[in-house]
Amino acid sequence: MYQGLICMIELIQFFIKIWPELYKGLIVSLQLSAGALVLGFAIGLPMALARTYGKGLLRTLATAYIEIIRGTPMIVQLFIIYYGLPDFGILLDRMPAAILALGINSSAYQAEYFRGAILSIDEGQGLAAQALGMTKSQTIVNIILPQALRIVLPPWSNEVVYMVKYTSVAFLIAVPELMARGKMLITQTFKPIETLFWVGVVYIIVLSIIAKIVDIFERKLAIPGFQMSRED
Amino acid sequence: MSKPILRIDNLHKKFKDTEVLKGVSLTVDEGEVVVIIGPSGTGKSTLLRCINRLIEPDAGEIYLGDEKIEPGVSNLSKVRQRIGMVFQDFNLFNHLTALQNVAIGPIKVKKMDKKAALKLAMQELERVGLADKANSYPAELSGGQKQRVAIARALAMDPEIMLFDEPTSALDPELIGEVLEVMKKLADAGMTMLVVSHEMGFAREAADRIVFLEDGVIVEMGPPEKIFNNPEKERTREFISKIARLHGKAQDVSGADLHD
Repeated sequence: MYQGLICMIELIQFFIKIWPELYKGLIVSLQLSAGALVLGFAIGLPMALARTYGKGLLRTLATAYIEIIRGTPMIVQLFIIYYGLPDFGILLDRMPAAILALGINSSAYQAEYFRGAILSIDEGQGLAAQALGMTKSQTIVNIILPQALRIVLPPWSNEVVYMVKYTSVAFLIAVPELMARGKMLITQTFKPIETLFWVGVVYIIVLSIIAKIVDIFERKLAIPGFQMSRED
Repeated sequence: MSKPILRIDNLHKKFKDTEVLKGVSLTVDEGEVVVIIGPSGTGKSTLLRCINRLIEPDAGEIYLGDEKIEPGVSNLSKVRQRIGMVFQDFNLFNHLTALQNVAIGPIKVKKMDKKAALKLAMQELERVGLADKANSYPAELSGGQKQRVAIARALAMDPEIMLFDEPTSALDPELIGEVLEVMKKLADAGMTMLVVSHEMGFAREAADRIVFLEDGVIVEMGPPEKIFNNPEKERTREFISKIARLHGKAQDVSGADLHD
């Protein structure tokens, strides 16, 4: 009992000592996640539209892009961008390289989420819009996407959670994110279990907060008749 | 009142190997209400959708007023603005309120000022008796209310002709009356209407002409008294007696509503 209390106090003291380092790592992790999610959205949505509405070559290219990215490990993509692109004269810093790799990887998954949501919308919605005189692009922008983006929010929030965890692969190219800081702290303190314990705790707390924020966001956007995750 | 608004000439449409429309010709004059009846699968919906080119016909010509509707030549968006369409399953935009559903056409398609469009939308909702539901989402409306909003949405574009594709078929019997009432009012106000419907009460009261379509051809057409009471073709007689038996009950109910 007494022994346990000592252990607890030591563990907390250890946390106070390493927190400044973990905090710096956490900020980098969140920057990586945000950058990658935005990039993934910016590439993923057009890819989804190209694969859904595109014709001929455009559709084929979008499909190939999505399948190739989804079909290869993220580490391979990261290494190609960081170690491979310099061969073609493109030299990226660690951070941009990591954001690019994570963003491209995420874009393929986001594209499929968007495509699924678009396809789930009843055909009649598009017919009614066209019958009013809307062009194809007006229909997509005003009718299809506002509904698809609401439908996609629950699976998309999963992507946010995955992304924050996936950023840990960036430590393989020495981006000083949360996991990399943890690794550094282990070699400095020789306390792997305690360090990894606190790294894990930080991930859990941050992800719970993010999940909560996404939930509030979903509630704000909720419209009667749209099945949101919490109603399932 | 004899200026033709819509002229369909020898329309053909095939889906794979099935010929759905085998040369349909029909003219609808200004202010006229034409009701199309016929067994299911005889191309009634296809005919309506060919008119505003939601479906591309294989052959035949369609004129709206004096203008020939030709894909690639005429601006389909412009043509569709002049043709209102009401669908069997309403197809209200699920992410928009009733008011926004009605206003979005004028705003996005006609580039109308947003405030003016919302005001217009409110007037259209009043016209179908749903001003109090302006801020409700489709999921919060009954089927009859949804269909009335859908009618208001089409009317907000100020169309020259309204197409109704079985507007009451997806409704519970007790909700049919309110939709037919709105349609009847529209007809009385002089709207040109082409209606696919088996509501005999409505057809009897509001239609100027009944068209009996079967197997992709017009079997017979004429004023409601003649088609319902004294059709020339034996097939027409059989079909009329069949829907009279099936819809007899609903017809009485809606008929009573219409007399109020």
